[in-house]
Amino acid sequence: MSDQVEIEAKDLSFYYAGTIHSLKQVNLSAHKMAVTALIGPSGCGKTTLLRCFNRMHDLYPKNRYEGQIIFEGKDVLSSDVDVIKLRSKIGMVFQKPTPFPMTIFDNIAYGLKLKGITNRSELSEKVEKALKNAALWDEAKDKLNVSAYDLSGGQQQRLVIARALAVEPHVLLFDEPTSALDPISTSKIEELIVQLKNNVTIIIVTHNMQQAARISDWTGFMMLGELIEFDRTDKMFTAPSEKLTEDYITGRFG
Amino acid sequence: MPIISKKNSVDSIFSLITGVASSVVVVLIIGILVVLLRESSLAISRFGVIHFLLSTDWNPVKESFGAASTIFGTFVTTSLALLIAIPLALGIAIFVTEIAPDFMKGPIGIAIELLAAIPSIIYGMWGLFTLAPIMSKYIEPALQKTVGALPLIGILFSGTPMGIDILTASVILSIMIIPFTASISRDSFNLTPSVVKESAYAIGATKWEVVKNVVLPYSKLGVYGGVALSLGRALGETMAVAFVLGNNHQITTSLFDAAATITVTLANEFTEADKDLYLSSLFYLALVLFIISFIVLAIAKFFLLKAERRYSR
Amino acid sequence: MNVEQKRKAESILALALSTLAAFSGLFWLVFILGDVLVHGIGALTPALFLNDPTPPGVVGGGLRNAFVGQLMITAFATLIGVPIGILGGTFLAEYARGTRTARAISVLSDIMVSVPSIVVGTFIYAIMVKTVGHFNGWAGAVALAVIMIPVVLRTTEDMLSLVPWTLREAAFALGAPYYRVIIEVVYRGAATGIFTGVLLSIARVAGETAPLLFTSFNNSFFSTDMRGPVASLTATIFQYAMGPYEEWHMQAWGAAFIITVFILLITIAGRLIIKWRYK
Repeated sequence: MSDQVEIEAKDLSFYYAGTIHSLKQVNLSAHKMAVTALIGPSGCGKTTLLRCFNRMHDLYPKNRYEGQIIFEGKDVLSSDVDVIKLRSKIGMVFQKPTPFPMTIFDNIAYGLKLKGITNRSELSEKVEKALKNAALWDEAKDKLNVSAYDLSGGQQQRLVIARALAVEPHVLLFDEPTSALDPISTSKIEELIVQLKNNVTIIIVTHNMQQAARISDWTGFMMLGELIEFDRTDKMFTAPSEKLTEDYITGRFG
Repeated sequence: MPIISKKNSVDSIFSLITGVASSVVVVLIIGILVVLLRESSLAISRFGVIHFLLSTDWNPVKESFGAASTIFGTFVTTSLALLIAIPLALGIAIFVTEIAPDFMKGPIGIAIELLAAIPSIIYGMWGLFTLAPIMSKYIEPALQKTVGALPLIGILFSGTPMGIDILTASVILSIMIIPFTASISRDSFNLTPSVVKESAYAIGATKWEVVKNVVLPYSKLGVYGGVALSLGRALGETMAVAFVLGNNHQITTSLFDAAATITVTLANEFTEADKDLYLSSLFYLALVLFIISFIVLAIAKFFLLKAERRYSR
Repeated sequence: MNVEQKRKAESILALALSTLAAFSGLFWLVFILGDVLVHGIGALTPALFLNDPTPPGVVGGGLRNAFVGQLMITAFATLIGVPIGILGGTFLAEYARGTRTARAISVLSDIMVSVPSIVVGTFIYAIMVKTVGHFNGWAGAVALAVIMIPVVLRTTEDMLSLVPWTLREAAFALGAPYYRVIIEVVYRGAATGIFTGVLLSIARVAGETAPLLFTSFNNSFFSTDMRGPVASLTATIFQYAMGPYEEWHMQAWGAAFIITVFILLITIAGRLIIKWRYK
């Protein structure tokens, strides 16, 4: 674990189309080579916050950000940022596995091709590396030319992680990546996330507090669009400084 | 549209191309209206609107044209066709959704789809060579002897049964529209929640009572939509009736008489129209047909959209 | 009969009538198809495909001109109609998804699908035949394309909408611009459905007659010149079936057989693909 900050939200507010104030003045720093977990009751804004980091909200009309997100010394939210380049540096993994309707190989090569890599041997090399990093190589190496839909749900989710890793992002955002998976697949993904933090900064949204406690180094607790408390995970779960956090963690609501 | 990344000009170009492609539909509809108006302007200025719609005169020699006889033919054949088709189509839909064992649902569904896929010219040709002789030899004389002997409605079945007449055309038309009404009704029936049906069964309703009191009321919007859609289709159907209607511009009381619809008149006379006013009057007929069927289809769509909105709630 | 018996009897009667209705549907199908097959098979001779029409009374005539003409008109209609339809559907399902414009165009297309095809024929006559002074094959192809466009457009829109939205988000999250997401991910996911829609739209226009009567007209000679009148199977069927000669009737049955079999095979193939892909 290092104390260097990779990406930092400063006074970040966010409004969905219309006027709903969904994030209120959030300040949070995700540290390099660490897993940062975001927890809180459903509708608290944790996914909304996550989707600010790679500006997924730009896909829909009339969404509005305020404040700053500092990444590589620049404000991600400023209008001259190329979101397409930004997203290739900040990857994302969704709740349900999202394999594309292509072969396993092409799925992973997709992001690389977007970056302009067309050399076949370079592609194979990077695909293999990504699959190994996502702990899927042994299961998938003999069926690279098979449709990705033939994999199991847990394998599909690791494929999607491999696809995100292939473009060598600096940050990887996970939006409840195990909520659609069985316990065995879940534990595989959790192990994978812990391993991955040596190469990439991870921010994960989870509704599962045990999961946050197991895999994260830092935890943020959110409620009603506000970041109530942000601290090291061990401290959050043993001696939270906020009453609300304590109530949530001990299961008094939510 | 913010979904297009500002930095990517290819995206703007692609969205522009697709936008233009989708506007083609709008351009076509407006284009058809404008062009037909322009082409029929000569006839409109000569005969006006009300006079054209009400005049039964269709005389290319004297160059006097009115749409009443063809509008009559269009409405009589389509209403008769609907009268025959609706009960059959509802029966089919009830059979497929409520009665048929699973292994029969597929084949009957496919049969309906195939009936819908057969081109209208095949229906027309079959009508001319196969159905019309059967009608004139067996069915129409039988009708004449039975219902034709009754007072009042007997007049509908008077005259010599030739087979090339309103009744034969309506029968063919009804076979053509059954698939549309049946498949939309089936889809609407299928949307009735099974809990609602089960609760009716639970209070001791028979299967027919469930259909009559639960399924039909629940899906009536969809059925109306299906009927209106079939009406729109039937109004514009050309080839299925062109062979067997006789293209005779007259208003008649007997179903055993030849008649003309707007479509049949267009198909038979359009390429023969030798004078500007004649051609212009035919364009005028096409315009009338376009407007009528557009309105009917819009009503159909309105019902179907309303039905869709209700079910999605 | 007490009330309960009466209700049960009524139910049985109604259900029996429904069953009868369903079988009447099957009856018509078998009747019409059987008739076309029986009459048509006898008319299938090599001459029908290899020879051009001869004057009435001269034996050995065929419909080679109409087969080739039909193929050309349908092929050009497909080449014009399918790209416009697919691109238009893409706009509705992607760039304009959920907007009022998209909904309006979608509804108008649905109406346009059922607009009388003979009206389309008169429209194309006015803009493409009257202006050049003679019937031509291009006018026929465009008339059929006009009928195809709304069909393909609506199928494409529906098929693209079936592709889960998260798939697009996943591609965006990799840094793909929207046009590449559409072409490389969404089209792939919807490919079978769009392909089936295109197949069915070809089946739909291949049997159209009314819009061809005043556009490509008919031609009793072999011609591949789309700038002049071009023969088609359907227009020939109309002319021959209404004509007085027995040989013409035979050939019309033969043409009807070919067209029906072609359309039914495409329709069944389309249904099978849908069943296999979206079960």
